Amino acid sequence: MKKYFTLLVGIASLLTACNNDESNTATPDPGSLSLTFENIVNGASLSMSPTTYINNTNETYAVSELKYIISNIRLIKPDNSTYTYPVEDSYFLINEDGNKTVNLSNIPVDTYAGITFGFGVDPTQYPIESGTLNFIPFAEEAGMLWTWSAGYKFLKFEGVYSSATAPDDETTFVYHVGSHGANLDNYKEITLSFGEFQIASENTISQTIQFDVAKIFDSIYTLSLEEKNDVQVDPINAPKIAENVSTAFSILE
Amino acid sequence: MKITKYLILILFIWSCSSESGNGESVITTDDGPLTVTNPLLDFTVPANFPDATYSILQNPPTEKGFELGKKLFYDGQLASDGVVSCGFCHIQSFAFTHHTHITSHGVDGQIGTRNAQPLHNLAFMNEFTWDGAATFLDTQPIIPITSEVEMNETVSNVILKLAADDTYPTLFEEAFGSEGVSADRMFKALSQFMVMMVSANSKFDKLERGEAVTFTDQENAGRAIFDAKCASCHAGALQTDQSYRNNGLAMDPVFNDIGRERVTGLPDDNRKFKVPSLRNIEVTFPYMHDGRLATLEDVLNFYTDGMVDSPTLDEQFRRPDGTFGIDITPEEKVQLIAFLKTLTDNDFIEDRRFSEF
Ligand code: HEC
Ligand code: HEC
Repeated sequence: MKKYFTLLVGIASLLTACNNDESNTATPDPGSLSLTFENIVNGASLSMSPTTYINNTNETYAVSELKYIISNIRLIKPDNSTYTYPVEDSYFLINEDGNKTVNLSNIPVDTYAGITFGFGVDPTQYPIESGTLNFIPFAEEAGMLWTWSAGYKFLKFEGVYSSATAPDDETTFVYHVGSHGANLDNYKEITLSFGEFQIASENTISQTIQFDVAKIFDSIYTLSLEEKNDVQVDPINAPKIAENVSTAFSILE
Repeated sequence: MKITKYLILILFIWSCSSESGNGESVITTDDGPLTVTNPLLDFTVPANFPDATYSILQNPPTEKGFELGKKLFYDGQLASDGVVSCGFCHIQSFAFTHHTHITSHGVDGQIGTRNAQPLHNLAFMNEFTWDGAATFLDTQPIIPITSEVEMNETVSNVILKLAADDTYPTLFEEAFGSEGVSADRMFKALSQFMVMMVSANSKFDKLERGEAVTFTDQENAGRAIFDAKCASCHAGALQTDQSYRNNGLAMDPVFNDIGRERVTGLPDDNRKFKVPSLRNIEVTFPYMHDGRLATLEDVLNFYTDGMVDSPTLDEQFRRPDGTFGIDITPEEKVQLIAFLKTLTDNDFIEDRRFSEF
């Protein structure tokens, strides 16, 4: 019996032998973190079209599609050291009309106080890391791939709007933001801090991150739909939208 | 007890099998575990070449990975009609171009807007396609697979087909050391095949490396003209400086191809295309991004007399008197063409490793 026990321990340690960061057998079983992205406007959950909102340019808009890519998740500990979630598993699609929750499993038991994540896909890292290309079929099905350039749309934001001067004149708008080949990198990293929490063995902690949709139009830059309602591979407006987006996330305490 | 030890050993190899699957790996078959030897292939940078841009260490070509990549490259299952494979448009004897048609033909005989590019020395390129739309070799195949006028498929569906196939699951396992047909592995295998396509054995290369070849007087004269008038763009061993330029082709009103501007959105990039490598140029006709010129004579006649002006025309082509083009005499044209033919690498074109059968 003892023999078999040793054997079992042997097998178990061999199985984990290659996760060399955590080779200590005394490490407690990991826990999980469930991150929900809540899209909001004016502090309340976003309602899709036909609900309308007004931006700072006095344009009335309704949203028919809102999707974005979240990637490269790192958890920050109180001493500022980080735990990097496995990169190949760290690409997620947030879809207002679908999944908005990112489930991170196998997180080492520890105290955490913040998070860094990417908006979009880091063109300098991708697709070097093994496994990252497995996100392609997924993004493709969600319409988040610019297939003609083999690149990702980081943000897909579509709907209709009307201006203050012609309120009955409804026009569609399309914001598709991604990187432009190797020429323009619209990937952004966002760091948020929150009250310290503990990831405990075999336990799931839930956190909500809010994304303020109104900031797509109005934040560092003010964007008018009347001026430009179709932003796709747009070297002037796409970077502005990406910068606005990078200010739009906050932790719901 | 012995059996258990054996099991531990297998488990150990499994848990440690690297994605690159170099050396030996144990795979499961209907008859139990099987050890597969999957040696690394020798990827050597030719002495007259710059460093590779492809990150070989992250995806080192192996024998089985290369074989899998080659099978995928020649497999019509990557297209919606089950017929149009990569090799359909990229034919080895023409340095992996297609030239029965001017622009490429895909599924249902649909006509693309661009001329299929040669595939060689891809491990040394910064960006891919005529306008640099693809920034990684690993992702480039997304473009032909999904393009309606090429293979008209989806990556998701290709993976489903491969996973349901009789042979692919085993080939993927042999190549990568563990079970699983995935998009990542498909792209990595295609890259392993394409990265090995190094063309560096033309007469020109041998002379560059100081090997025992000599140029004829005509080839030498051609080389001098080339160095003076062409090598600013068609530069170095790769025969391209990898920049995007407008060489004065008139806009084709049917295709209305804006070139690099499609990728960057910048008006300054309007009508610019990647400077093509002139390696194997003798066999990669027709020429230019839309294949509008049939012969090398046509190309040289275009450079002397056929250019049109536009705001982004490369400054090098502007003559002081306000006209544009390159001055080349008829005799020099003959010499230039003799030189261009020294760029043909028959070893590459006939290399059995890359051929379909
Ligand atoms: C229908 C014809 C067709 C098929 C099928 C096809 N290609 Fe191509 N290929 C082209 C054309 C045309 C271009 C130039 C594209 C452009 O500039 O937009 C090209 C360009 C490329 C390039 C870029 C070369 C460079 O120097 O930048 C690579 C790599 C490539 N193809 C690989 C493949 C692979 C791998 C497949 C199969 C998955 C494939 N092609 C299938 C026609 C085809
Ligand atoms: C200012 C840069 C520049 C110079 C100088 C230049 N070229 Fe080019 N060349 C290009 C570009 C850019 C293209 C691709 C244009 C396109 O297809 O739109 C090209 C295309 C070609 C092609 C067709 C290649 C193919 O694969 O289809 C040939 C052949 C060629 N050039 C030969 C020459 C020769 C010979 C000279 C010197 C007499 C020369 N070029 C000078 C930029 C240049």
